[in-house]
Amino acid sequence: MPTTTLARVPPGSQDLLFDDVRRRRRVQAAWFSLAEAHGYGEVIPPTFEYEEVFSRGAGPELASRLIRFLDRDGRLVALRADFTSSIARMAATRLAAAPLPLRLCYAGKVYRQEPEGGGRRRESFQLGAELIGDPGPEGDVETIRMGISFLRALRIRDFQVNLGDIRFIRPLLEGLAPEGAERLRLAIDRKDRAALAEGAREFGAPAAVARALVELPELIGRGEVLLRARSLASGPEAEEAIERLRAVDALLTPDEREHVVYDLGEIRGLGYYTGVQWEVFVAGVGRAVGFGGRYDHLLGMYGADRPAVGFSLETDALAELLPAEEP
Amino acid sequence: MSRPPKPLRVALPKGRVMDDALRLFARLGSGVERSALESRRLILPSTDGRFEFLPVKNFDVPVYVESGVADAGVVGLDVLGERESDVLHPLDLRFGGCRLAVAAPGETPYPYLPGSVTPRVATKYVESARRFFAARGIQVDLVHISGSVEIAPLLGLAHWIVDLVQTGRTLEENGLAVVDEVARSTARLIVNRASHKLRLEEHQRLIADLERALDSADRPSPTES
Repeated sequence: MPTTTLARVPPGSQDLLFDDVRRRRRVQAAWFSLAEAHGYGEVIPPTFEYEEVFSRGAGPELASRLIRFLDRDGRLVALRADFTSSIARMAATRLAAAPLPLRLCYAGKVYRQEPEGGGRRRESFQLGAELIGDPGPEGDVETIRMGISFLRALRIRDFQVNLGDIRFIRPLLEGLAPEGAERLRLAIDRKDRAALAEGAREFGAPAAVARALVELPELIGRGEVLLRARSLASGPEAEEAIERLRAVDALLTPDEREHVVYDLGEIRGLGYYTGVQWEVFVAGVGRAVGFGGRYDHLLGMYGADRPAVGFSLETDALAELLPAEEP
Repeated sequence: MSRPPKPLRVALPKGRVMDDALRLFARLGSGVERSALESRRLILPSTDGRFEFLPVKNFDVPVYVESGVADAGVVGLDVLGERESDVLHPLDLRFGGCRLAVAAPGETPYPYLPGSVTPRVATKYVESARRFFAARGIQVDLVHISGSVEIAPLLGLAHWIVDLVQTGRTLEENGLAVVDEVARSTARLIVNRASHKLRLEEHQRLIADLERALDSADRPSPTES
């Protein structure tokens, strides 16, 4: 058979047919109807960009997963790996004169390298929203609330938003050599108390920092955990983080609060996050189906420094959770 | 919480670590009926209904936990070092102690071979070996084999091996001796990221209970008694 090699698709890519397509379209239709009702306008960033758009803002983890190629003029370009990076560039350049706050939403594919055999695709659908120009906790809550309302609109009931603030953790890693900071970051991300205690000893962390590091995996729970965390905050930056999370908590409705877990060890997500950040977990899916957070310095990379907050959700995972279509 | 009381599913690596883990869970009041253990069932319920144990192969524990099929698992650090899996590692369970070591036949030098020959190293633990030698600036050719690593030098497949060492007897029988240590390992509790958030109270209780059981008896009654 002469066509066998031509008939294959590269690993991690696939055709989507009828039912798979219908489910994704239903998720996207529900998303745009909700986003528009909240005053968010749809944008479509390009499928490929100069690779610095992704590699400089989003950090080394995403940079290592870009799908890159050379453009005609020899410059490196990358397939869209993240909507927020592209939208930040768009908002700081073409939309620099637009009145603030700016509310933008999107849905489409992202492309990332994934190891083979891990069960992940290299192209996947995402959807999300960005709120640009609102520095306050009201902005954080507006986006968190949209995520919660959207999951409810999809009739997903069992879900949690895992909310933290990177400013609580950053002072704990200050002054460490890059390898040391990376090791601790990994231990925080894995809630590995043994490794945190060992790292704190090895790097000679001051007693208060060591105590906060070892407690970090336990600083997770409902609102009361913020009180516990306050006594462990190391310096004004960490205190600001707690104050912000308390302000967010105060703005949430009791209904919404049931879906929010405060996790001071929340360190996931892309390198551009500067304050509150969160992951979204849904029953039936073993990993996060969404990320969000504040990225107050990303637009500054393009010369229009303004605060921003946003989130994205994995369309494919949500589509698979949809109940079968009513007749 | 309005969720029905569904047991937490815990993946265990068949073999000695699973025996130690089941003994530890039994101390929490969550043992397994002997008849269930002998039945070769796919899933073993604990007598108190709090857990379901899922016996799987060592290297598959992180796969089941990362995917969410299991909520948690018990597995050696040696396996986690080999298979970078995206799971939480909240607790060192302190049993299942062993070390990953470089071993060589008595007459074979380490870390350099005469005439600057590039050493061939046979191992099941390719990733851990790669990281270890790279960090030392030693260039080697790694040969991935899946069993009986200790006979590789005898048969001329490799100069050295990287393998787990418990007592060192197997090495000795094959004329090998430990020449360097790659890592020490003990069993860890690992937890699925989504399950940890969605069933937070249950996971927190499990971690606290295990910690208490470990502290009350430094280590669970060892297998070799």
